[in-house]
Amino acid sequence: MISITGLRKSFGAATVLNGIDLEIRQGEVVSVLGSSGSGKSTLIRCINGLEKIDAGKITVDGFDVSKPRELSEARKRSGTVFQLFNLYPHMTAVQNVALAPIEVLKVPRKQAEAEARELLHSVGLTERADAYPSQLSGGQRQRVGICRALAMKPSYLLLDEVTSALDPEMTSEVLSILAALAKTGTTMVFVTHEIEFARSISSRIAFLDKGQLIADLPTEEFFSATGMALPRVAQFLSKMRKD
Amino acid sequence: MKFDLSILAKHIPFLLEGAWLTLQACALAVIGSLVLGLVVGAMRTSASPLLNRLAAIYIDIFRNIPFIVQLFFFYYGLPEIGIYIDAFTTGVVALSIAGGAFTSDVIRSGILAIDPGVIEAAQVSGLRKITIFRKIILPIALRASVRPLGSVFINLILTSSILSTITLNELTGSAKIVASNTFRPFEVYFVLLVAYAALTYSVSILIGMLHRYLNRHQEEGAV
Ligand SMILES: Nc1ncnc2c1ncn2[C@@H]1O[C@H](COP(=O)(O)OP(=O)(O)OP(=O)(O)O)[C@@H](O)[C@H]1O
Ligand SMILES: [Mg+2]
Repeated sequence: MISITGLRKSFGAATVLNGIDLEIRQGEVVSVLGSSGSGKSTLIRCINGLEKIDAGKITVDGFDVSKPRELSEARKRSGTVFQLFNLYPHMTAVQNVALAPIEVLKVPRKQAEAEARELLHSVGLTERADAYPSQLSGGQRQRVGICRALAMKPSYLLLDEVTSALDPEMTSEVLSILAALAKTGTTMVFVTHEIEFARSISSRIAFLDKGQLIADLPTEEFFSATGMALPRVAQFLSKMRKD
Repeated sequence: MKFDLSILAKHIPFLLEGAWLTLQACALAVIGSLVLGLVVGAMRTSASPLLNRLAAIYIDIFRNIPFIVQLFFFYYGLPEIGIYIDAFTTGVVALSIAGGAFTSDVIRSGILAIDPGVIEAAQVSGLRKITIFRKIILPIALRASVRPLGSVFINLILTSSILSTITLNELTGSAKIVASNTFRPFEVYFVLLVAYAALTYSVSILIGMLHRYLNRHQEEGAV
C-alpha cells in the first residue's frame, strides 16, 4: 500500500501540495486528474522521493520515503514512467531495461538481459531490443520506458503523463499496453489528461485542485452526479471535453 | 649556408630517444590529468559545499599560474623543504596537476549538460549514487567531453616542451642539445616543429575518431 498522510510540499513561498491524504492499495488503478499546475507531477515526485516533502508522511509498503535508509526499499517497490521517457541515451533498449535488475536486484547479467528481451517482446519491440534510444520513435521509447519500470517487478507503477509527448497513433499504442497491464492487476498511479482512458482503466479518481485533493472517488461516482456536484470537477471535465 | 637535413642523420637516434620520453611523459600526464579531472569534476558537481569549494580553489589556482612557475616550484622549490623528486616524475606530476585543472572543468560541464531527467530515472530505479556516477553520469559526460578533452591533451603535449627547463631531455631538450652541438639550429628546430605538428595532428585525428565512435548512436547535436 502507498499511504500518504498530511502531505505538504512548498517551493519557496508557493505551497504546491497542501494536506494531501491518499491511499493506494494493491491492485488498484488510481488516476490523478487536475488542471495544469495543480500539483500532479509534484505528487508523483514526492512518492518516488525525487522531492523532499515539507510535512506529512509517505510510506510505500510501510517504508518511509523521507528516511534515506528506507527510501531505497521504497524505491524497489515502485517503478516510474516519465513523460519525456528519460532513457539512458548511451545504452540499448535491453541495457536500459536490464540495468536496475543487475545493479539493484543483483540478477546475473545473462538472466537480466533475457528477461529484458522478454519484456520488450511483450510490448512489440522484439526487433528493436538492441537499438539505442535515438534510433527509436517516441512511442517505442516510451514502451522501453515502461519495460524499464516493469523490469524491477514493482508493486506500484507511477506514471506521469506518459503519452503527452506522443502523437495520437503512438499514444494509442502505449495506452493499449497500459490497459493490458491494468487488466493483469498491476497497481498504478496514473497522472493523465486522457480523461476517457482514465475512466476506462481506473478503479478510482483522485482530483487535485491548487494543491488540494478535493475528490477521491470510485471512477463511476466521479463521473456521475457526485463528481459533478463539485464545481471545480464539473468545470474541469467540461473544459477537457471541449478540447 | 644551405638547408641540409642529412647533417642530422647521426643524431636521429638521440632525437628519437627524446621523442620517446615526450611520448611517455605525455601519455602518463594524459592519464593523470584525466583521473584528476574525473575526481575534481565530480567534486565540483557534488552536493557537498566543502568538496565543491576545494575543487574550485584547485582549478582557480592552477589555471592562473604559468606552467613554468608551477614546474620550477615543484622541481627547485620542494627540495628546499626536503622533498626530492626526479625530473621525469616531477614533470609528469606537474603536467597532470596543471592539465587536471582544465580537464576537470571540461568534465564538470559535461556532467552539468546531462538531462536531469535521465539521472532521476536512475535514482528512482534504486541505483546507488556510486553506480549512477559510474554507469550513467560518467559515460554520458565523457562522450560529450571527448573533443574538448582532446584540446586539453593537445595543449598538454605542447606544454610538455617546457619540461626541458628542468633538465629533462625530452624532444625539445634533446633538440636543443643537438642544435648546440651541430650549430645547425635551423634544421634542428625545423625537424622539431614538424615532429610536434605531426604528434598533435595525429592526436587530433585519434580524438575525432574516438568522438565519432563513442557518439555513433547519438542524435545529431544531442549531448
Ligand atoms: N522545482 C520547482 N520549483 C518551483 N516551482 C515548482 C517546481 N516544480 C513545480 N513547481 C510549481 O508547482 C506547481 C505544481 O506543479 P506540477 O508540475 O506538480 O503541476 P502539474 O499538475 O503536474 O501540472 P501539468 O499538468 O502542467 O503537468 C506549479 O505551479 C509549478 O510551477
Ligand atoms: Mg505535470
